[in-house]
Amino acid sequence: MDTLAALGHGFLVALTPYNLLWSAIGVTVGTAVGVLPGIGPALTVALLLPVTYHLEPTSAFIMFAGIYYGAMYGGSTTSILLNAPGESGSIVTAIDGHAMARQGRGAQALATAAIGSFVAGTIATAALTFVAPLMVKMALLFGPAEYFALMVLALTTVTAVLGNSLARGLGSLFFGLALGLVGIDMQTGQARLAFGVPELLDGIDTVVVAVGLFAVGETLYVASRYRFETEEIFALKGSKWMSREDWSRSWKPWLRGTLLGFPIGALPAGGSEIPTFLSYLVEKRLAKKPEEFGHGAIEAVAGPEAANNASAAGVLAPLLSLGLPTSATAAIMLAAFQQYGLQPGPTLFDSNPELVWGMIASLYIGNVLLLLLNLPLVGMWVKLLLIPRPWLYAGILVFSTLGAYTLNNNVVDLVILWVIGLVGFGMRVLNVPVAPCVVGLILGPLAEQQFRRALAISQGDPTVFVTHPISAALLAIAVLLVVGPLLMRRRSRAAAT
Amino acid sequence: MTTARSLRIGEALLGGGLSALGALIAIETMLTPSAGRSVVGPALFPYLISGGLVLIGLSLLREAFAGHIAHETGLELDLRAVALVAAGLAAQFLLIEFLGWIPSAALLFVAVARAFGSRRYLPNAALGLLLAGGTFVVFNYGLDLNLPIGSVGEWFAPAE
Repeated sequence: MDTLAALGHGFLVALTPYNLLWSAIGVTVGTAVGVLPGIGPALTVALLLPVTYHLEPTSAFIMFAGIYYGAMYGGSTTSILLNAPGESGSIVTAIDGHAMARQGRGAQALATAAIGSFVAGTIATAALTFVAPLMVKMALLFGPAEYFALMVLALTTVTAVLGNSLARGLGSLFFGLALGLVGIDMQTGQARLAFGVPELLDGIDTVVVAVGLFAVGETLYVASRYRFETEEIFALKGSKWMSREDWSRSWKPWLRGTLLGFPIGALPAGGSEIPTFLSYLVEKRLAKKPEEFGHGAIEAVAGPEAANNASAAGVLAPLLSLGLPTSATAAIMLAAFQQYGLQPGPTLFDSNPELVWGMIASLYIGNVLLLLLNLPLVGMWVKLLLIPRPWLYAGILVFSTLGAYTLNNNVVDLVILWVIGLVGFGMRVLNVPVAPCVVGLILGPLAEQQFRRALAISQGDPTVFVTHPISAALLAIAVLLVVGPLLMRRRSRAAAT
Repeated sequence: MTTARSLRIGEALLGGGLSALGALIAIETMLTPSAGRSVVGPALFPYLISGGLVLIGLSLLREAFAGHIAHETGLELDLRAVALVAAGLAAQFLLIEFLGWIPSAALLFVAVARAFGSRRYLPNAALGLLLAGGTFVVFNYGLDLNLPIGSVGEWFAPAE
């Protein structure tokens, strides 16, 4: 009952005309930027961060919630019409969604994606409303040792799940951890790896790294491939409405996708890759015509797109209640909280209930606004895909440097952006996933803090991590996730010979 | 133009680079006098991370010469376009404090547009100036953020 009262209060906060305005601006801008090819939710949030610097925290986070959900909606438009998924969660949508667009059924693909996202987003937001307080209760039982183990688990899964080479994923993660070392040590005030540059004492900003990897690195890569690739946009034509058959083939996948997406997203090791792929496989197995999959089956758009949005809501549960980001987008949201001097976690629910519940309430509102924005107005968003590529990417880079510069008003951030951008280009060419780097950068220092706190409490006894049952279990799962696949591969190789 | 062979070199560079970064962190940490008497000082994590970097770097090096690499069929890259974008960004951070936000951002705009094959310098420059000027007005007057007007701009600005 407490939860409902808190949510009700959140709605009172979110429904004031002023906050409603920011929510509407958030979903509109989020959709618009999310539609631009190559820009996923993580980058959308990072690029729009400077716009919120002078807002009240509550309004700023209501706007972020809108941007976050809006970017997810916008991303599916690009995946379907351009076959250019802006983030890993949209890759599956792109396969059959783009095939539908080629057959002239783009409007139906967009509709099932939008309605599915709405259904999944609303159910998952409701689940978030009730799961987050439970997670807060659990989090209050956690000591530093458990927190450290949880962060190790999150870091391992983010790394192990992405990409096909564990070494490349770990390389990306450790590069992020190394960047996280730069600056003043939080416990002793000791400067680390600042090389005498005063601007580095504050550390390297997550936002600069994210924009460098996602925007500058990506632009460099697209520039390098531009001459060799042609892209085609498939115009919307024919009936814009889903037929009765489309509906009957869509509604079950929406619900199943939600069921897969939310819990996996809410796990401390969540993210959107696993649920979208799982949803695709489940739908293929249950479909009456599995042979259509890969050639434009509507179930293959409805299910994964619902799973994608449900997991986006799920990711917010560990972020808000534990302060644990499990995706690149969540890492940037955490950086945004830190910008306001706020640390997400169990105490945030007590100290800033207006902010937390206002933000959760605004997710419901944002979802409704997005459905209104996307079904009738989808033709308007599609026009954004027609921006000439030279202008589009030039504009993206101007905004990237704007965001990096206005963070601290210094040129050093622009130099870091440049270096990270070149590294990001190299990573893109060599197929190294970038998300572990961003998550490592933000989680590394937090994990170190908990590690040292745990040792200080145990007076230097390192067995504290294995004698606490919860911590030991979490660490064991983390080890299994890394070692398990290696062993299986070895066994299958042994069986093959 | 890049073939599978130069991608292997790239992969080796990645491995070598990570190992070198690990070594750099270890050396820098050794050179920094450690402060405080707490159980675990500020040097432990840097050592752990540098150790991890060296190990991962070595395993990537091994993969580069013996194992599977990304894009085994080869990948063509237009490195001139990459250089042009990188130069545009470098010019911006070198010039922003002198020329100010508007000209340096417009210059970046033209450079990137050129990298994407647009040779219409005049319209591009006009659009770049418009975008840079628009953001300058919105951010400096609307959102109270300080984009630099530049030393050049200050000569013309009224004295306060």
